[in-house]
Parts: sequence; C-alpha cells; structure tokens
Amino acid sequence: MDSFGKRLFIALTPGKTFLDRLQGKTKIRLFFAFILILVATWDMRILFPILIISIIGLISIKPEWKTVRGLTIFTLLMNLFNLFLIWVVSPNYGYSQVGATTVLVRFTETYILSAETLWYFLVRLTKFMATFFVSLTFIQCITPSEMAAGLYGVGIPYKISTVVSLAFRYIPEIARDFNEIKISMQARGLELDSRKSSLITRLKQNVLILVPLIIVSFDRVGNIADAMDLRGYGRMKTRTYYAEHELTKGDRIINIVNVLLYAGFIAIVVVRIVSHREFLIWAPWVK
Amino acid sequence: MREAVVSFKDFSFKYKHQQEATLHDINLDIYRGEKILILGPSGCGKSTLANCINGLIPFSYPGTITGSLTVAGLQTQQSSLFELSKHVGTVQQDSDAQFVGLSVGEDIAFSLENQSMPRSEMLPIVDEAARIVDMERFLTHPPFDLSGGQKQKVALAGILHDAEEILLFDEPLASLDPAMGMTAVDLIDKIHKESGKTIIIIEHRLEDVLYRHVDRILLINDGRIVKDCTPDEMLYSGVLKIYGVREPLYIAALENAGVRFEEGEHLDDIEKIDIDRYRDAVLSEFARSKPYTVGEKGKVVVEVENVDFQYNPDHKVLENVSLTIREGEKLAIVGKNGAGKSTLAKLLCGIIRPISGTIRINGENYLSMSIKEIGQLIGYVMQNPNQMLVKDMIMDEITLALQLNEFPEELIKQRAEETLKMTGLYPMRNWPVSALSYGQKKRVTIASILALQPDVIILDEPTAGQDYRHYTEIMRFLDDLNKNYGKTIVFITHDMHLAIEYTDRALVFADGKLIADDFVYKVLSDKDIIERANLKETSLVLLARKVGLDPEEFIRHFIEREREERENG
Repeated sequence: MDSFGKRLFIALTPGKTFLDRLQGKTKIRLFFAFILILVATWDMRILFPILIISIIGLISIKPEWKTVRGLTIFTLLMNLFNLFLIWVVSPNYGYSQVGATTVLVRFTETYILSAETLWYFLVRLTKFMATFFVSLTFIQCITPSEMAAGLYGVGIPYKISTVVSLAFRYIPEIARDFNEIKISMQARGLELDSRKSSLITRLKQNVLILVPLIIVSFDRVGNIADAMDLRGYGRMKTRTYYAEHELTKGDRIINIVNVLLYAGFIAIVVVRIVSHREFLIWAPWVK
Repeated sequence: MREAVVSFKDFSFKYKHQQEATLHDINLDIYRGEKILILGPSGCGKSTLANCINGLIPFSYPGTITGSLTVAGLQTQQSSLFELSKHVGTVQQDSDAQFVGLSVGEDIAFSLENQSMPRSEMLPIVDEAARIVDMERFLTHPPFDLSGGQKQKVALAGILHDAEEILLFDEPLASLDPAMGMTAVDLIDKIHKESGKTIIIIEHRLEDVLYRHVDRILLINDGRIVKDCTPDEMLYSGVLKIYGVREPLYIAALENAGVRFEEGEHLDDIEKIDIDRYRDAVLSEFARSKPYTVGEKGKVVVEVENVDFQYNPDHKVLENVSLTIREGEKLAIVGKNGAGKSTLAKLLCGIIRPISGTIRINGENYLSMSIKEIGQLIGYVMQNPNQMLVKDMIMDEITLALQLNEFPEELIKQRAEETLKMTGLYPMRNWPVSALSYGQKKRVTIASILALQPDVIILDEPTAGQDYRHYTEIMRFLDDLNKNYGKTIVFITHDMHLAIEYTDRALVFADGKLIADDFVYKVLSDKDIIERANLKETSLVLLARKVGLDPEEFIRHFIEREREERENG
C-alpha cells in the first residue's frame, strides 16, 4: 500500500489474521515471553517446539513472501557461516558445551567432527532461528500505533511510547527532505558519484546536505510540538489509544498462554539455578 | 446583547527575544457564532494574534503581555494551554506537521486520546467527525497516502468533536490547489452554519475566502488593527491595496474600468453586484484594448519529445509529454497536486531520466550530460529556501555552486560579483544568511542558482505562503531577470494570480498528461481544462459573461492592462 512500510517490513494498517487482531499489549507480552525463554534456555526440548510455533506463527499472518524469504535466507547463511568459523577455530567445541566427544569423522589429528559439536550447532541454530522468526512475526503483525499503545499498556510512560509512533510518522518525511536537498545540491554541482570524487570529499560534501536538513527538521519539530500542545497532549497523567481495541476472545486465550509462558520462563531460570549442570547443553545420548 | 467569546482590551504583546512589541493596543470583541477573517501582510502580527487566542502565547512562546485577553470567559494569562485548548480548536498552516497520527482515525482521535476518553466512547465521535469532513472511507489510511487537502480535512475533523466553541484557521489555503481551496472554504462554511461555532480565519487570499460569506474582516498592519468592518465596507474603502492585500479580481477589473462603487453596495460576491449599471464603463474600457500582437519567438532551449516516466511499472507518472521551451519565455506549469508537475521539473534537471522519449537541451540529447552539467544550463529553485541554504554568509552561498563546479578563482570572483549586482544583493554580500527575511532568503537561493548562469530557471511555488507585497517583490525581481538578462523562467505553481499576471504560457497537467499548452487567458477560460486540472474559474470569466464579452479576450485585456500599470510604476 505504501512503499515506506514495505521497505521496513512493517505494516501501517492492521491485518486480518488471528495474531494481527490481538491487542498491541497482548502482542508485546507474547513477544517478550518467547524472547525471555529463548534467551534463558539451551534445551532443545524447549527450543525446537518454539521454532515450530514461530514458523507456524509467521505463516499464519500471511506475510509477503518476497521480503520474508530474502531475509530468512540471509539470516540462515550468516548463522551457518558463523558456526563454520567456530568449527574452524575450535573443532571440538561441542565438548565444552555438552561434555562428551563422539567422533563421527576424523579429517586430521585436530580436525574432527563430533556428534556433540554438531548437536551444539543444531541447538544454537535452532535458538537463533527461533528468535529470528519470533521477532519477524512480531514486527510483521504489529503496527507502530499498536506498538505505542501496547508499550503504554504494559506500563511504559506514554511520553516514551509517543516517541515510538512519532518516529515512524516522521522518519519518512525526513528521508524525503534529505532526498530533495540532495537533489538540489547535486544540481548545484555536488558530486556524489564515487568514481568522480574521493571518499573524503564526498563525506565533506554530505555535510552540505545535513545543514539544511537539520534546520528544516527543527522547523518541523517546532510545528509538531505546537500541534500536539494545541490538542492537549500531556494534559493528563493517563492516556487512551484509538489503535488499542477492546479485549477479544483471542486476547483472553493468548493472555492465558502468556501466563503459562512466563511461569515456564521462571521455572527454567529456577531449574538452572538449582540444578548446577556442569555442562550447558542437554543431549539425548549423554548421561 | 451579543456575547463576546474573545475580548481583547488594550492588549499588547512583545516576544521575549524581541526589542519591540509585535501587537499594539488591540481592542477587539469577537462574538459568539461570528465568522471573521483576519487579513494583513506577512509579519503584520496576524499569526501572533491567533496564537494569543489559542494559548500558544504566552505558554509556548513566552513574552510580555499588557492589557487583557479573555477567551470563553477565561483570562488567558491566568489559564493554561490545556484549558484553552478545550475552547479553541486550531487548524495550523502546515497540514503535514500537524498530522501526528499514523492513520486518519488516530489523528482525528488524538485530542480524545489525550483526554483519556475510553475507546468505546471515542469511536462514534471519530466516525461522526470523519463523516462531516467526508473522510469516513479513509479512516485506516496512513498520512503518506493523503493529499494536502485531505490532510487539512483531517486536521479540521480533529478539532470538530470537542466542545470547542471557537475554531481558528491559520492560513488554511496555503498549500492547497485552487479547487481544493474552494472545497476547504465551503467546508468551513458548512460547519459554521451547522454548528454555530465562532470561526476565525487568518488568510491573505481574500478572494478565495470570500467564495463563502464572511461576517466581518479585520485588517491588521504593523501589529495594529487598522480596519474592522464588513467585507462590503472593506472592499468599498479601497484600503486593501495600501496594505499590500490583493483585491478580488472582479473588483480590480471594475476599478480599472473607472467604476466608483456606492456606499452600502454588496461587493463581497460578484453575483450580488448589479453589473448592468457598470456594463457601459467596462465595455468602453475594453474597447481601448490593443489588438494582440505575437511577440518574436526566441530560439528553442529545451525540447521534450514523447517523454514517459514511471517510478513503478503499474503507474505512469508522465505519459507522452511533448513541449518546447524557448529563450526568454516565462511559463507556468499548473495542475493539481500529484499531476506530474514536479516530476517534469526533476526530469528537466536530469535528476530522473525518461523511460522513453528524448529531452534535448540546446539541441543536444541530455542523456549524455550529468546532473552537474545540466545544472549549468537549467537551474532549480526549491520551494522552501531553508532547504537550499547551507552557508553562513551570503557571499559563500553564492560562490558555493561555482566552487563545487571547480571554476577558476578569478572567474568565481567575477561571476559572484555579477550575480550579486544582478540580484541587488551586492550591498548585503557580507551579511549572515540568518539575518535575512524569508523573501530575502528566497532571493539568495535564486542568486545561488544564477551564479552558474543557467539559461532556464525553474522555480517551485516561488510565492507560497507570502503576502501580496512580498510576492510582488519577488515576481518583479524575476521579471527583471527575464527582461534584462533574457533568462527563461519556469514556474511550478497552483497560484492562478501568478500565472495570470506574470507568465505568457501555461502548461497544464492532469493525471500525468499535458492537457493544455497555451496562452494563460485561453487556459483559464476553458471550462473543461479548469475542471480536469483542479483549477478554479476566475471571477473575470464570470464578469465577462455578465457584461457580454468573450472571457478569453477579457482576461487577455485585463492581463495586459495590469502589466502596463506595473511597468509604469
């Protein structure tokens, strides 16, 4: 619908799927519940189900596959490359994490491939990809206004959540100003072509674009502040949000899920503190 | 006894950082349900007056107040901005900056959100306000998809739903094309009639506001109210010209014909004037018009041939556009917002290039030239001078383009001097840019482009947001560049007055197509073109019809006569 939204992978108008129709507050709680658990655990028995759930979540909101696919492939390749580098630097890394070495392939004396290292890599990849899919789903199903409303809903002062929505509102305008100023400077002879001027000159010349951009942006900020004052912004300690609709059945269900997830998170933390595992990662064949 | 909702008593105001007071001895009562227009040149204090009423003064812009101001029974100084905002709703000039929500619905709801109103109560109010301004189908649309006129409507809806009894409009027409301006004036009128709220409009486009009835006009100059009367009395008095406010065109045309109006005559609407009485005067004056002579044509500078342009594959921004621009011409590119005007300007400057078709500058295909090279042939002046000024000193600003183009030191000096003299900025060459007024800044930006000595200068909305006096000053300056230095001047504008008075030819765009390329007076008397391009029929056409003259000829005569007068001083 608008090119700006598409470029940043965000939706400005709410979608129609189950996750889309939740309250901003519920979405934020759900997101943080998953993220906390993903940070807290290295246990494949928890990570793998979350990965599956996050993929189902992503599919359920019917995202634009073109953008999602590119980003997913990029993230996956970066992670695989990262793991490969870890293996190159320390081929038996799995031992330090799992506490055993079952050699699968031996290339040279030091370069081995163990089941534990592979398992560790698989756990790590699952953890990262689950985090990625949870975040992607969250960003795709929440509008900036719901985000602002949701943040306020979970107890963040509304002046801070306003900053979030204002940023989304005015960043494209600033980008447009920047473009226009750049164009007029180019017509006056500013050379931004890397083949024709050195990096230093180009950096110096970019300052020429920034000066008017800052002045124009300050003018705009003044106008926005006036507009908000005139409509009573900051009049009261509390605020309501047009974008935050009433509790739906879906919200009630997810709120129960949220309670369970937070309880699960606490359980995971408690178990980790109490159990004093010598090695970080559980593997089915290591006792 | 009528009740005053706004009451100034011996009121003066001085901004904190200024030496002199901006408003002096204001004594003014505005009554409940009145519709008032505040007129005056830029910098006369009319916006300051508005900000006193809505409370931005003294709460956001501190200063010294003497005397008293009561708004809706509240002494403003003892009140607060929030308290006042319950009684006064303001629509500001910048329709973009005041759109703070991320969708139409949210923006309309903004003040309700700030009152902590439960959403269930908010919804019907927002729907109703959106319905009044005819935006109910756009509730979920983000601001990036809306036109200036639509944003203005949303801003209006955003103040409608409160209990506010006073609605204040600060230059509501500034960024609207003529047809949208008419819609806005109409809408304000409708709301006035239906709600009975007090309406205060600040504008200098008098004729456009008078499209609908206004109860009273205040004329402000140098911070004082110089006249406070009905529109009829204001037009009869003839003081507008003295204070740099433009009279409606039909009044100017009748005055040209030597007509003397009678006291008490209805002048604020051309339909109410008894034209029959003035027919002879108009006809005899028209009889003196000279036969039209086509001036010599200069050589072709720019040739555009069958040009198409599109940003994305499914929507053509420009389609099959062909035109020529000759040396020494003055022409206007007009059309509604989004019709392709600025795209054409960007194409001409080489910032974007055609998908198909060719553009030649001085006979050479411009595809082989860089933006920088084109910049030396075609200069582009942006609407807001603040977007172009980068240096502290005027001299540096003017030499910047020359330095960027790596001219030799000697030539830079010589060109800068020439440019400064050409633009009348020579005495100010060592002034800091920040010390200049808006109009002077505009002049500096034009000078900074002129330094490269381009053949063609394209100006985007050169007169936006300026009163008649500054406007005339800038346009005279450009006229002078055109006449004495042979510069070709291209205006992108939706100001029809500008097109009528200062250009010979108009290129009219609608939906990416060039729908007319003709003399301004021909374009403005063609109903079909006017409608398709969101222009507005000028009152001259109506006057001509009433008198029984050919509108085309009548407009041409009017233009020539105005020009002659201008040239004779």
